[in-house]
Amino acid sequence: MNEENLSIVALITNASLLVQLVMATLFLMSVLSWIMIVQRALFLNGALRSFREFEDTFWSGIDLNQLYQDLNDQTQEQGPVDGIENVFHAGFREFNRLAQTDKADPDAVMEGTDRAMRVALSREEEKLSTNLPFLASVASVSPYIGLFGTVWGIMNSFRGLAMVQQATLATVAPGISEALIATAMGLFAAIPAVIAYNRYAAQVEVINGNYETFSDEFSSILHRQVHSR
Amino acid sequence: MGNFLSYAAAVLVSIAVHVLVVGALLVNWQPTTERIVMQPQFIEAKLVELAPKKKRQIDRPVKPKIDPARKKREADQRRAVQKQKAAALKRQQEQALKAEALEKKQAAEAERKRIATEFAKTLAEEEAQINAQEDDRIANSYRQVIQQRLSENWSRPPSARRDMETVIRMQLVPTGRVVGVTVLLSSGDIAFDRSVEQAAFKAEQFFELQQMAPEMFERRFREVDVAFSPRDLRL
Repeated sequence: MNEENLSIVALITNASLLVQLVMATLFLMSVLSWIMIVQRALFLNGALRSFREFEDTFWSGIDLNQLYQDLNDQTQEQGPVDGIENVFHAGFREFNRLAQTDKADPDAVMEGTDRAMRVALSREEEKLSTNLPFLASVASVSPYIGLFGTVWGIMNSFRGLAMVQQATLATVAPGISEALIATAMGLFAAIPAVIAYNRYAAQVEVINGNYETFSDEFSSILHRQVHSR
Repeated sequence: MGNFLSYAAAVLVSIAVHVLVVGALLVNWQPTTERIVMQPQFIEAKLVELAPKKKRQIDRPVKPKIDPARKKREADQRRAVQKQKAAALKRQQEQALKAEALEKKQAAEAERKRIATEFAKTLAEEEAQINAQEDDRIANSYRQVIQQRLSENWSRPPSARRDMETVIRMQLVPTGRVVGVTVLLSSGDIAFDRSVEQAAFKAEQFFELQQMAPEMFERRFREVDVAFSPRDLRL
């Protein structure tokens, strides 16, 4: 006991099994939450960028049929498209189908188109906010898990203290230090998750708003088209 | 497919971040202060006897010395014999011989007596020493009790350092109660001295001393000097 090594490794390997389990859980949660954080960052940035690009091409005066055809080709080549293209694609397809029927009531056409776009929108929103619930639960739960490990470790170290006649700080300090690692790990997992969750929730909100605005604008264009006939 | 790629990249980044953090911890985490070896849990408070015990040398019985008086008397006799005539010489010599024998016997007697008393004295001395050792043993056990009680009651101030030492003198009464404490040798730190005094006052009464023989108490425990020194501290 006297040659006690206070390095992190020694503290972790000397910890009791439960505390070690807690630490392992927290480490795993931290790894997973970082995976989510990076993946979401890539995904959301990509979504925002592709939205801007699509908006640019959309408002550049390109023929909508041409755009739709391009998207169709792209879908056949690379599988289903993501983001705002999907909304546009779904809406335009529905519009075309309804408009090609002979006695198409303009209101019915618009209603069908809006519905199709709404469905596509909610799909897109779902895609945007995948994994965010996981980040939220890591953010809120991992401090508690860490705290549990710490409380358990401190409990044990105080129980050891009861056996000692002359209690000095040095008899409890290693145990408490060891136990506090669990809290540190909990916070280490939680803090990035909280930040990322808040940031991504805001970003999803923004992108979603953009999609909705776009779908309304697109709907108004189609509306003009269907009523001008 | 872009989805899969982004997940792969995310996994890589996440693992890299964690490896970095763990590596940084492993490399940079050195306890800044060296771990101090744990001292025994008790504070050492050793009792100091101010007058060191004299080592008594056991006197071995000394060999009887040759009596110078005897020689002188023999010479006297010889002179007397020379003065007297040869007729008386033989009788005188006989007488002298007899006297000498008597003298010798007396001397031997005295010698024996002397050796006996010497032996008795040595014996008594040895016994006294054995008694003293026994006393020491008992006294030591009481000292240990006092020491333990004092160290239990001693709460050291934060300013206490390893090399400090304070010697106090406790005045005790036969019930074991502490009636007075004086600092004989200050450590130089007022808080430390006061903590030592407080330890003595907090111990208040050593009930164990009531079982002690009164004369031993008078001799050894009326006043007890205790040295306090925090050996188990790091600084």
